[in-house]
Amino acid sequence: MASQDKSINTDVPEKDVFALHFLQSLSNLKTQNPSNSPDKTNDRVKKIKMAAYVSMARAAGGRRLWSRALLRRAASENNKIVRFPRRKRRVTWLSRRRCNRRAPVEEKAADRLRDLVPGGGEMETSKLMKETAHYIKCLSMQVKVMQCLVDGLSPK
Amino acid sequence: MLEGLVSPDSLSLSSMDTSVLERLKWLQQQQQQVVSQCSNSSPELLQMLQFHGSNNGELLQSTLSHFQMLGSGFGPNYNMGFGTPNEAMDGCISRTSSSHMDPVDTMGIMLKNSDENRAIALKNKRKSEVKTREEEKTEKKIKVEAETESSMKGKSNMSNTEATSETSKETSKGASEIQKLDYIHVRARRGQATDRHSLAERARREKISKKMKYLQDLVPGCNKVTGKAGMLDEIINYVQSLQRQVEFLSMKLAVLNPELELAVEDISVKQFHAYFTNLPVVVASKPSIMVDMPLFPLDQQGSLDLSVINPNQTTSVEAPSASWETQSQSLYNTSSLGFHY
Repeated sequence: MASQDKSINTDVPEKDVFALHFLQSLSNLKTQNPSNSPDKTNDRVKKIKMAAYVSMARAAGGRRLWSRALLRRAASENNKIVRFPRRKRRVTWLSRRRCNRRAPVEEKAADRLRDLVPGGGEMETSKLMKETAHYIKCLSMQVKVMQCLVDGLSPK
Repeated sequence: MLEGLVSPDSLSLSSMDTSVLERLKWLQQQQQQVVSQCSNSSPELLQMLQFHGSNNGELLQSTLSHFQMLGSGFGPNYNMGFGTPNEAMDGCISRTSSSHMDPVDTMGIMLKNSDENRAIALKNKRKSEVKTREEEKTEKKIKVEAETESSMKGKSNMSNTEATSETSKETSKGASEIQKLDYIHVRARRGQATDRHSLAERARREKISKKMKYLQDLVPGCNKVTGKAGMLDEIINYVQSLQRQVEFLSMKLAVLNPELELAVEDISVKQFHAYFTNLPVVVASKPSIMVDMPLFPLDQQGSLDLSVINPNQTTSVEAPSASWETQSQSLYNTSSLGFHY
């Protein structure tokens, strides 16, 4: 793995780490809202999803742009302040878009991808690709772990 | 110089004589040139030339003596001009002086000889020229081969697929491009702009395409799609599907959550161990996970919910408004307590 990705260094975080984070956050959710009322299922789904994403971001570490963006978003939703070291120079995509008027189809597609990947709005295209690769890896890992959990917890 | 010397004397002589003299002069000059040219060539040629030269010198000397007999004060000047060995000259003079020959006969012989000599000289010259040309050609070939080798090396480094059959001009161009490449890692082909902006743009596009290739390997079913837009669409679809899957799974978990409460309470080590042993089978990305598994302290402690979650729960109960950082700190503490993953 590592020999292949020397140019684009995307090391996938361990599944164990993600599973640990996720279980912890789930247990936290339980302790915070012990009520099993059926009208709160939507809220619960949101919270579980949030917990899953946040645990994924934490497992990925703070070096990735998408994970930092996810954590920041989570913090802003919880009205809590999280401090991450900001990047010194940030390429704003708007300034670049004016220069590049070629290939509008690709740029439109890239914009759609920007909406999907957390924190993609402030990335340039090559960076976006890199982050997307890592994000896809982490997402697939997350999906597999969650699938395992669901399979294990479902009544037989 | 020679003509200047000869011309006043040739006034006394007939026009035929002057022409013969000029021819002889021309011959000797050419032969000298040939000797000087062929000094690098084979020794046989040199010997031949020397032989002819000596013949010619004898002829010249004979004619000179004849002319000396005809015209006075001509010999020394001539000798000075040609620089032929004086001793042989003397011998020849004595010989010619002893032999009485008709000027017309000698002239005829001389003409024949001179023609032959000229022909030989021309041949020699041609040979030498051809030889020098061949040498030059071989040198050029060697140079061209070296250039092509260097360019091929550069191409192999750049992994560029261009036609190998190129003219020397193109090879030289490639060499210059390779020299350029030491500074800028952007390759401008023929007909491409070489502005700063376009070079930067090209570099950016290359970067993007490289990463797109990497993404193409990640996303299943992306190899069939051609074109960047299609690939991006495929990637977007994949990410969306993954996110939807996460949502669906979280919904499932939310439905299961009341059961999860019970399950986490009652869950046994064996069940959780089964999950995590299932993981590498399902995920199947790393075989080393099996080695890492004993590090995960599930089988060491009795029940998972008590050992893993309880310390965290206590902290969260104590500070329910704790930020993620504190949570991560607590996690770090727990990890320092007994977990090393």
